[in-house]
Amino acid sequence: MKKHRNFWFFLGALLLMILAVPTVTSQAASGTFKVGMEAGYPPFNWTQNDASNGAVKIQGSSTYANGYDVQMAKKIAMALNKKLVVVKTEWDGLQPALTSGKLDAIIAGMSPTAQRRKAIDFTDTYYRSKLVIVVRKDSKYAKATSLKDFKNAKLTAQLNTYHYTALGQIQGVIKEPAMKDFSAMRVALESGTIDGYISEKPEGISVTSANPNVKMIQFKGTNGFKTNPEDTDLAIGLRKNDPARVKINAELAKISQAERDKLMANAVNEQPQTSGNSENWFLAILKQYGNMLLRGTGVTLLISMVGTIVGFIIGLLVAIIRTIPTAGSRFRRILLKVIDWLLSVYIEVFRGTPMIVQAAVLYYGAAQAFGWNMDRLVAALLIVSINTGAYLSEIMRGGIISVDDGQFEAAHALGMTHLQTMIKIILPQAVRNSLPAVTNEFVINIKDTSVLSIISVSELFFTGSTIAGQNFQFFHTYLVICLIYLILTFTITRILRLVERRLDGPQNYNIMANQDQVSTPTDHN
Amino acid sequence: MTNLLEVTHLEKNFGTHKVLKDINLHVEPGEVLSIIGSSGSGKSTLLRCINLLEQPTSGKIDFHGENVLANSFNVTDYRAKVGMVFQSFNLFNNLNVLQNCTIGQTTVLHRNAAEAKTIALEQLEKVGMAPYVDAKPAQLSGGQKQRVGIARAVSMSPEVLLFDEPTSALDPEMVDDVLDSMRALAHTGLTMILVTHEMAFARDISDHVVFMDQGVIAEEGTANQIFGTPQEERTKTFLKRYLNRV
Repeated sequence: MKKHRNFWFFLGALLLMILAVPTVTSQAASGTFKVGMEAGYPPFNWTQNDASNGAVKIQGSSTYANGYDVQMAKKIAMALNKKLVVVKTEWDGLQPALTSGKLDAIIAGMSPTAQRRKAIDFTDTYYRSKLVIVVRKDSKYAKATSLKDFKNAKLTAQLNTYHYTALGQIQGVIKEPAMKDFSAMRVALESGTIDGYISEKPEGISVTSANPNVKMIQFKGTNGFKTNPEDTDLAIGLRKNDPARVKINAELAKISQAERDKLMANAVNEQPQTSGNSENWFLAILKQYGNMLLRGTGVTLLISMVGTIVGFIIGLLVAIIRTIPTAGSRFRRILLKVIDWLLSVYIEVFRGTPMIVQAAVLYYGAAQAFGWNMDRLVAALLIVSINTGAYLSEIMRGGIISVDDGQFEAAHALGMTHLQTMIKIILPQAVRNSLPAVTNEFVINIKDTSVLSIISVSELFFTGSTIAGQNFQFFHTYLVICLIYLILTFTITRILRLVERRLDGPQNYNIMANQDQVSTPTDHN
Repeated sequence: MTNLLEVTHLEKNFGTHKVLKDINLHVEPGEVLSIIGSSGSGKSTLLRCINLLEQPTSGKIDFHGENVLANSFNVTDYRAKVGMVFQSFNLFNNLNVLQNCTIGQTTVLHRNAAEAKTIALEQLEKVGMAPYVDAKPAQLSGGQKQRVGIARAVSMSPEVLLFDEPTSALDPEMVDDVLDSMRALAHTGLTMILVTHEMAFARDISDHVVFMDQGVIAEEGTANQIFGTPQEERTKTFLKRYLNRV
C-alpha cells in the first residue's frame, strides 16, 4: 500500500516536470530589438546612473547601460530599423532568455563556441580579443611572461566559458572551482583566495585602470594560450534560423577594425571609475549608489512581504483543507482523498526543490514551453509565494493539530459547524501558535530573495553585485548590503513580535468591582 | 410521549472493546439524573453518546420522540439544545470570559450581540463570575473556569444540560463553588444529567439515579432508593467504599 502511494506520488512529480520541458519556441516579433547583457562586464557593458556618453536605458529600471556592446547594439538596431531595448540579464540566464523569446539577441561579449552553437546561432565576429591573466601587483606572479611561470598558482575563470577550459594549458596549475562572474573573481583575487584569473584583454584593461593593486599579464607569441578563433572572437547570439542574421552580418562588415578599436578605446575611457579616496567610503557608496540600493531594498522587501503574506494565505487554506475530518458520504471521502494527495504533491515538490531552480523553471520554462512572457517581478512574486505556501502549509497544519481536542469538542457541543469551529475557535489559536514560525519564514524570505538574481530581478543582492562590479570595492559594498539585510530582518522580527503581543491581549484584566459577588476573591497577576 | 430523552438498546464499541452494552434510559423534563459508578464503567461515554461527541455503535436515542441518530437529523441544532459542561472545562483559550459565553449564542442561535451579552452577563452573575468578564481562561483558577463553563452552557438556553465529572479536576476547596452553582441551576427546573463522584451532592440533588457497572446499568431508582436501600450487591460495595471515605 505504502509502495503504491509512493509510485503515484512519483508519477505526479514527473508530470509536473514534463510540463516544464520546452515544446514550442516562442517568437517575439515587434518593433523593438531586445538585447541581453549582464551590464556588469566593463568595458563591454556596464550600468550607470545617467544617459551620458550615449548610454541606453535598461528595461524596467531607471539605470542606464553603456559600453562597447551597447554602442555596437545601437548601430545594429539602427540598421534593422528597430528601437533598441537593453535587458539586463545574468550570464547564465542569457541563453534561456534568448531561446524563450525574452531577448532578440545576446551582445554580451559572448564567444561562439561549438557547444553554444548547438542551442543558438551566431553572427560574424564583432570583436576579437586575447586571453590574459589578471594577478595582484604584489604577488610573485606579477612578473610572469609565460604560462610556464604559473606553475602551482591558484587560478580560476568564469563558469561556462572557454577561459576555464584554457586553464588546462598551464602545466602544474592549481585549478580552483570556476566562478559565477568577474565580480566574484575580483573579490577572490583581492582577498587572496586565488592568485589570478583568466580574462580577456578589455576586461584586463578595465580592472587595472580601476584598481591599482592588480596587474594584467599579457603573453607574446607561443608563450601564451593557444586559442581557437571561435573562442576569442566575440559574436552576437541569435535564435536558430533568425532571418535578421544576414542583415546584421552585412552591418558588421561595414564596421572597420579601426572603428572597432576606437569604440573599445572609448569604452575603456568612459567606464565607471572608482571615486577618489577623499571621502569616507561608506558615505561615498551611499552617495553614488544610494538610489540603486534603496530600490534594491524596496524590491527585496516587496517580494518577501508579498511572498510571505500570500504564502501564509495559501498555507492556511491548504492546512484547513487537509484537516477536514474524513467523514460523510463515500463521494466526499474520495474527493477529500484526491485533494489531499494533490496538495501533498504540491508541498513535496516545492519543499523538495531549491527555489533558485523553481524560479528558473517557471521564468524560462514557461516562456519556452507555452510562450508566457511574464514580467520578472511577477515571476519572482509567484515563486516566493508558492514556495512559502508549501512550507507554511505544514506549519499551519501543525498549528491546527496542536490545538487541544477539547476546544473542538466544546465548540461542537455548542452546536457549531466544522467551519464555524475552525474560523472562530481553532484558527485564531493555530495562527497565534504558528506566528513565530511565520516570522522565521519571513526572515528566510528576505534573505532568500537573493537567489532570484537567476532571473535577473534587481533585488538587493543583485544590485549589490552590480555596484561591486563597477566600483571594485567588494568588501565595502557587500558590507553595506549585509548591513541593510540585517536592519531589514531585525526590524521585521521586532514588528512581528509586537503583533504576537497584540494577539495575546493584555497581561492584566480589571475586576468589575461594583458587581463583585465572589465570596473569596483570589489573587491574580 | 412525556420523555424528553429516551435511550434504547444503546451499544458503543471501541474496536472490539464493548464500553456500553444494551443501555436503556429515559429522562423526563425537569428531572435531575445522576449517573454514578466506578471509573471505566462507561458513564462518561454514555454522556458523550447522548450529545453525539461519540457515535453510538447501535441502538437509538430519541429527543422529543425524534431519533437523533437518523441521517436526516440536524445534529448542530440538537447540540445547541443539549448543553455540556466538561471535566477539563474546555473554555475557548482565544476568547475572554464574556466572549466564551456569547460566541455560541451569536453564531449558532443568531442572537444579536447586545442580547447575547445581556444573557451572558446574567448567567455569569449567577455563578459569581461577572467581575471577570475581561479575563482570559489562562488567567483563571480551575473553579472559576468551571463556573464560566457552566455559564457558557446555560447561556445557550438548553433544554438539557450534561455535566461530565465537572468537579473531578478541581482542588477540594473549589468544588463547593461549582456545586453551589449547579444546585442553583437544579432549582430552576432545568433538566440535568450529571456524571459525578460527589455522592453526597448526587444524593441531595437528584430525582433519579443510575448506577453503572462494566458498561451496563446495574441499578436504577430514586436517590433514596439507591443511596438508602440499594438492592444489588455491587451497588452496595461501591457505595460502601465511597461513604467510608467521606
